[in-house]
Amino acid sequence: MSRIAPALWTTCAALALALPAHAMEPQDILDRVCTTCHAPRADGSLPRIDDGRRTPEGWDMTLVRMMRNHGVRMTGEERATMVRHLADTRGLSVAETEGWRYILEQEPVAVDEAPNQDMAEMCARCHSFARVAVQRRTREDWAHMIHFHLGQFPTLEYQALARDRDWWGIAMGDVLDFLAENYGYGERVASLAADLSGAWTVAGRMPGRGDYAGTMHVMAEGTDYEVHLDLGFADGSHAHFDGRGLVYGAGEWRATLSDGETEIRQVMALGADGALSGRWFDAESDVIGARMLAAREDGTPRILGVSPGHLRLGEAAEITLTGVGLSGAPVLPEGVSAELVSESATQVVLRVTAAAEAAVGPVTLGLGDLAAPLVLYDRLDRIAVVPEVTISRVGGNDGPIAKVPAQFEVVGYLNGPDGAPGTEDDILVGHFPADWSTEDFDEVAAAMEDARFAGVIDGAGRFTPGDAGPNPERPMTTNNAGNLWVVARLEQAGEVLEGRAQLFATVQRFVDPPIR
Amino acid sequence: MRTLTALLAPALLAAAAPAQARDYLIAPTRPDRLVIVDTEAMAVDKVITIDMAAPLPSLPVVSADGRRAFVIVAQNEEIVEIDLESGEEVQRLILGTEQERVKALFGMDLSPDGTTLAVYESPVGLFKNHFEVRPTRLSLYDTATGALKARAEAPRQVTVIAYSKDGSRIYGMGREMHVFDAATGQKVDELPIHGWGKGEYVQPDVLDAWSQFEVAGMVTTPFYTFREDGDPEDPEAYRTGLLTLDLETGEMVMKDAEATDIFYFSTVADPAKQRIFGVYNQLASFDLETRAPIKRVNLPHSYYSVNVSSDGSTVYIGGTLGNIGVYDADTLEKKGQIDLPDGHSMSLASVRLFTRDE
Ligand code: HEC
Ligand code: HEC
Repeated sequence: MSRIAPALWTTCAALALALPAHAMEPQDILDRVCTTCHAPRADGSLPRIDDGRRTPEGWDMTLVRMMRNHGVRMTGEERATMVRHLADTRGLSVAETEGWRYILEQEPVAVDEAPNQDMAEMCARCHSFARVAVQRRTREDWAHMIHFHLGQFPTLEYQALARDRDWWGIAMGDVLDFLAENYGYGERVASLAADLSGAWTVAGRMPGRGDYAGTMHVMAEGTDYEVHLDLGFADGSHAHFDGRGLVYGAGEWRATLSDGETEIRQVMALGADGALSGRWFDAESDVIGARMLAAREDGTPRILGVSPGHLRLGEAAEITLTGVGLSGAPVLPEGVSAELVSESATQVVLRVTAAAEAAVGPVTLGLGDLAAPLVLYDRLDRIAVVPEVTISRVGGNDGPIAKVPAQFEVVGYLNGPDGAPGTEDDILVGHFPADWSTEDFDEVAAAMEDARFAGVIDGAGRFTPGDAGPNPERPMTTNNAGNLWVVARLEQAGEVLEGRAQLFATVQRFVDPPIR
Repeated sequence: MRTLTALLAPALLAAAAPAQARDYLIAPTRPDRLVIVDTEAMAVDKVITIDMAAPLPSLPVVSADGRRAFVIVAQNEEIVEIDLESGEEVQRLILGTEQERVKALFGMDLSPDGTTLAVYESPVGLFKNHFEVRPTRLSLYDTATGALKARAEAPRQVTVIAYSKDGSRIYGMGREMHVFDAATGQKVDELPIHGWGKGEYVQPDVLDAWSQFEVAGMVTTPFYTFREDGDPEDPEAYRTGLLTLDLETGEMVMKDAEATDIFYFSTVADPAKQRIFGVYNQLASFDLETRAPIKRVNLPHSYYSVNVSSDGSTVYIGGTLGNIGVYDADTLEKKGQIDLPDGHSMSLASVRLFTRDE
């Protein structure tokens, strides 16, 4: 895809020769490699390199381009230390990434929304808007970046949603103004000085598997951390992962862990409250993963998780509060009684009963000075399937690209005070298990028997797409793409609630950059 | 005897004419070939391999005598002149320099007198650590020496470039039809394309990447629009139109043709200026005057490019893959197919027709 003038390759060949064989330190690479093209200005700053701030993934993408398009040679190790150095010295604060972190976390249930229609059409039709929003640049550097786009992809301005307008004029006008104003260079951010070593209590929910809680042990080792993660799931299963983690810049936590079989990645951010929050996912299949909240055990007392977070009137259930510094007596809302089952600083288990005549809706479950949300309900008014619309991708079949599954969950709702479904006062009760199936989405899908060929959904709401490549069993030996309804059914006192989502079972993604 | 005379007469007439003109097609294929097809024999006449032309020679422009062709090659960064009889490269224009990458993306044409090559160029400055998109421009090169004769900034987003028949104007199809002075390259006028149909239709969408105006002397392209007061649920509200620009008179006409139930990638006008043929997954014919659809047939696969014989009787469809379909202009019945050597595909290249006296 990349079109490089032969002239550049020539420059690069010379450059490659200049590189010694042993691993270089980041500052050496900057001084000796990068400066061959990014020669220092009079004030010593490096053009482009000192004109923008990015996430670690953003820096890695830039470095990859320097290697791929401009012939810079770096070993894997050099590239990694270089990303570290650049992210430490030219990174973003966690606050600057707020609202866009899903793109770093590979969060499958996220809607990428540009600030307005014009920006969406100009800058978010090839990649996410989040890719733009997690960068900070000087006005001049944003201008360079726009020049790079059209310079590198000269047919860009002829594409749909570009040829209908003065693309270049708008890009260098309104778009540049918007970028400079909203994502200007700002201030350099100091990298984190604190040591994250210690025991962290973690809690979260893994779609398809359920709530979990556990402990993450973090031990400083050199410039990184050794990490051990123990998770206990509400369904009684356990998981244990070991590996290494590190903090980039002001608080970008990244770790790679393994349970001996599956490698997982953690992408979390250190918040102002000292907690780490983010997501972990299967390194091979980022759809499979879970959000995670972690707080250091010696930190400020707080509740990280309540499982389950809902209770049916007239029923009793064990509710587990996970947190740090837990102490004090339970403070119960009206119509709710509880017995203490077990108690520690990180976990309190209560046997909670909701009176049949208690009021439905959100209540607060207190523990000493801390509070956790709980929802009381009698019967669900409706269920919904999330994500509402998503994609899966065919893969495997001896091809180089793995299948991309889709994971669905059921959320239950009450209609709220106005008694009408789908309005603002609806009350989200929580996540529920359901029976899962797929159906052809429409007549076209039915004619092609998409539901039969596109893949299968299991009891936990995970859809596994079909094999890549043409399928001789299908009309015109088409591939295993399809357009499906994912249907969830849940029985509630003799009545069946149904929820639906749309799934596009589509083809492989052949280029998969770290920031989509 | 009478029969014999009748049979002989045309032959005698032909012999009396100075020479016999024969139609050839020129089809660029991946990665570096020009395939010349003899349309009478319905067979490949010659395969010319161009040096350093990959990945695809995109646009060929043939001289009036059918003996030379200028071809955009090498990732659209070079133009070669090829002697179509010997297959030799006559000259090569390298558009850019080490400091400036210049691409000729879609638009190039020869002046009717053959002395000037007009090229629409998209330059990008290559600095050590940044790129600089520079104004697009129309460059006029001397065909004999390759020297630049004139150059002027031109609006962006231009695709097809075509000379007026009298050689005084150059047209550039962009968001509007830009009109340039052929001597200086300066823009002198524009005819509305995006500005067309205001009040009745929404801004039309045009992407004309195929130069196939040489037979009729008429540039044509499909465009797509929507009735301004149309209901999005109503299929009839989506409209396919046809644009024609007569290179003889300079008259440009855009007219609604049919509801958009299928797409055409490109169109061509017949030499009598009575019909327009459109191609993609179907081949369709339209009345040029009224734009009324006449006939439509399904094709075995997609074709992006369409051209027509100099007598208007035969339609050739190409581009995309590695064969040229031959269709009757009246019935749209398939008359044959020419498979290009080694199955090499034409991809997005324009398939052009030229005539040579034998
Ligand atoms: C052979 C020349 C060359 C070398 C060596 C080089 N760069 Fe670049 N760099 C470029 C060019 C050309 C551009 C502008 C085009 C582009 O963005 O790809 C650029 C752009 C950049 C940008 C701006 C990218 C953006 O997103 O707009 C950054 C940051 C950068 N380089 C960093 C580096 C770093 C760090 C190094 C050393 C590891 C390096 N470059 C080495 C040629 C080079
Ligand atoms: C035609 C598709 C397209 C459009 C439109 C587009 N981009 Fe991009 N953008 C890309 C591609 C492809 C890359 C990756 C370039 C590479 O690394 O080779 C990219 C990369 C980026 C990056 C990351 C740069 C880096 O160093 O990796 C940013 C930031 C960005 N685009 C911003 C924008 C903005 C702002 C706009 C609107 C003016 C925009 N993009 C419009 C295709 C597009």
